[in-house]
Amino acid sequence: MTNSKKTLEFKFDRTIPAPPAEVFDGWLDPKIPGNPWNMAEKLLLNPKVDGFFYWLIKENSHYGRFTEIERPSRIQHTWMSRSTLGEETTVTLTFKKQGEDTLMTLVHTGIPDTEAGRGHERGWNHFLDIFPEQFGDGSRKEK
Amino acid sequence: MYDMDQLTDVLTALSHPTRRAIIGQLANGPARFLDIAKPFDTALNATTKHLKVLERAGLIERQKHGREVLISFRGGPLREVAGWMHEYDRFWNERLDQFEQYFKNKKKKEKK
Repeated sequence: MTNSKKTLEFKFDRTIPAPPAEVFDGWLDPKIPGNPWNMAEKLLLNPKVDGFFYWLIKENSHYGRFTEIERPSRIQHTWMSRSTLGEETTVTLTFKKQGEDTLMTLVHTGIPDTEAGRGHERGWNHFLDIFPEQFGDGSRKEK
Repeated sequence: MYDMDQLTDVLTALSHPTRRAIIGQLANGPARFLDIAKPFDTALNATTKHLKVLERAGLIERQKHGREVLISFRGGPLREVAGWMHEYDRFWNERLDQFEQYFKNKKKKEKK
């Protein structure tokens, strides 16, 4: 936990009851609830390759650049905010047809694994170091 | 969204190595008080105090089985803490839930 360059990755799946093109378009439409652009206090959005976005919510500014736009299957953009500590992180979305639905996968990579990045308080690293020993695989040292 | 008082209780409970060791022991299955106290070179009333802290945090519960009281581990509060730790885990889950719900509602309306 002492390596400040260690990064976190989060992956989420959702099955959306609509075809991929509709889900893809919905993700880029600020009027649709749940996408990052919805409920912005200020939004500049240019969803094309090398287009930028600026998104302000709760006095927290977010910036990014679209690196891949492949309708209806894939979107990738960078993501920077105070929670990424100025580091450029990457958000990748894929949309796969699954019968009448779409399997939507969001992967957010490169998030700095620091106390501030995690939004937690001092002392966590010690707990995180010890936690896997206690619960990881049942290999707790016996008395 | 998170109960900060409970978070504080859970973090306090986890801050002591003996309490973490007790959780580790109970993660393998319920145990009686004396079995929990045995591995530790401390007085029984010290173990009692540790168990009270763990109980207040919701990390353990006591159940009567005939004459015996079995103490078992509860994982719920730890999952809450884990969720609270990861800001982006929380952020994207909330967003994606809303997004999914929007399409579900839309589909329901279309069926009517």
